[in-house]
Amino acid sequence: MFYAQLIVNGLVQGLIVGLAALAVTLVFGVARFANAATGDTMTFGAYAALIGHKATGSLVVAGGAAVGATALLSLTVYALVFRKLAGRSVVALLVTSIGVGFLLRSVLGIVFGHNQQLFTVPLVRPIRFNGLIINPFDLQLAAVAAVALVGVFLVLYATPIGRRMRAVADNRELALVSGIRPERVMIALWLLVGAVTGVAGMMLGMKTIVSPELGWEMLLPAFAAAILGGIGSPVGAVLAGLLLGVAQELSTPFVGFTYKLSISFVVLLLVLLVRPRGLFGRLEGVR
Amino acid sequence: MLTYILFALVIGSVYALLAQSLMLSWGLAGLVNLGLAGFFAVGAYASAMLTTWGHAPIPLGVAAAMLAGGLVGLVVCFSTLRLRDDYLAIVTLGFAEIVRLVASNEVWLTGGTDGISGIPVLVPRDAGIWFHAGSLAIIAAAVAAVYLLLRRLLRSPWGRSLRAIREDQTVASVAGKSIVRFKAQAFSLAAAIAGVAGAFYGHYTSYVAPDLFQPLITIYIFLAVTAGGNARPAGAVIGAYLLVAFLEATRFIAELAPGVSAVQAASLREIVVGLGLVLVLSFRPDGLLPERSQKAPAL
Repeated sequence: MFYAQLIVNGLVQGLIVGLAALAVTLVFGVARFANAATGDTMTFGAYAALIGHKATGSLVVAGGAAVGATALLSLTVYALVFRKLAGRSVVALLVTSIGVGFLLRSVLGIVFGHNQQLFTVPLVRPIRFNGLIINPFDLQLAAVAAVALVGVFLVLYATPIGRRMRAVADNRELALVSGIRPERVMIALWLLVGAVTGVAGMMLGMKTIVSPELGWEMLLPAFAAAILGGIGSPVGAVLAGLLLGVAQELSTPFVGFTYKLSISFVVLLLVLLVRPRGLFGRLEGVR
Repeated sequence: MLTYILFALVIGSVYALLAQSLMLSWGLAGLVNLGLAGFFAVGAYASAMLTTWGHAPIPLGVAAAMLAGGLVGLVVCFSTLRLRDDYLAIVTLGFAEIVRLVASNEVWLTGGTDGISGIPVLVPRDAGIWFHAGSLAIIAAAVAAVYLLLRRLLRSPWGRSLRAIREDQTVASVAGKSIVRFKAQAFSLAAAIAGVAGAFYGHYTSYVAPDLFQPLITIYIFLAVTAGGNARPAGAVIGAYLLVAFLEATRFIAELAPGVSAVQAASLREIVVGLGLVLVLSFRPDGLLPERSQKAPAL
């Protein structure tokens, strides 16, 4: 029963990791680089949600603020930075994204200070279900994540722009030859990625404490999940995120709270050694 | 004031060692090391433990730091050498975090968050100004030695092969170069240099603790190397000293500007560093000293 409880706790954490990994894998698949600014973009989303929530007290407004502001930020970063660097080596883009993330973190640090801030949500009595303790607030968060995921997958698999996005991810040259305009695909991509990152950041902020370092610590699990799921595979990223979240919680009785983060690192190394294409990835993307 | 300038120069020299490490792995081999701070820490701890607790002489500690850095580098890059270059970057990113976790939590091994203090110094501390000047001379000599070594390596067939691999792995492997071996050698050597930088840092400040090895240092060195030119040792060295000059200058400006608290000033400096990195990469990716293309040797 103890372990079942850990699994339940890990699922919410896993949804957050999954959303972050989804953002990483979308950028990796379409724009072809590992975006190290993902974590700090999440932090931005958490602060946007915090402001929305403080101003109105409504979680819906908070969510809207997080999604809107982060999508806009993501698009701005693309327009100002990543667009100019298109075609440079993956490594140059990765280093630039590190710079972008660092910049974002220090700007958030100076605007909001380094004090930790909390979402003040009303306490509710936990639901007991066959001895499992489930926090209704976690259920709400899970519902938010589910809605976000459905939204992303609808965009990816049921809209023309999603189809074009997948075409570019699949084979960039072929997509361009078939008359797909890369610029539009990129704009849609960064808006979508920003929205996903914003939701992930808001959820993370609500589960923990909002501080400028919030998202940076999420970057390693997000990368690990994206690689475990198979780079470029949205479904894989979400499933791997859930797996990783649960594995992290299940590991705490054995390795202790402090080494939770190291689970991501171990998983990352194992996947790269044993099956670098991940669970659902294709081999070509890896080498 | 002179002490202060000497102090800044020593830190600049340590950064110059780190910058040369990054230049070798990133600029020459195309292997991004986002865990530079981790290798820096490994070297610092290796030498600090050996000389403080084991009472070994400092040269032995520095040698141990080099060995530890190189070995750990080999292990870290081992899992990703056959994959795309950005996988290694992600692994090194995690590696630096793990090093900090282990250093903070394994009290029996590293002294935990208290760190290790009372590390033997290069020159007796009671020598006053000569303590700083002497340390500077020794560390600057190490910078010069690494510089000469890298320049030599760069012109050697080994350096040429490395750049060939960076430019086009397929062509290089068709030419019979073992890509995995060259990359592992380059990364491991670079990690060893970072380890040496860590050792010297510890032997100058006589104190190491997990908090000293924040990812911030890695960002600093990336800025130094991109600004100086990431494929030339001279560029990396110049970049490192320029970076320290800039960091120290902003300290003074922050003190002069009214109404700016120390914390705000630190944040502002970080903003400038981040912005600088993004701008240089966007507009002048070759840095101050761009890579010179070498002529093919006459047959």
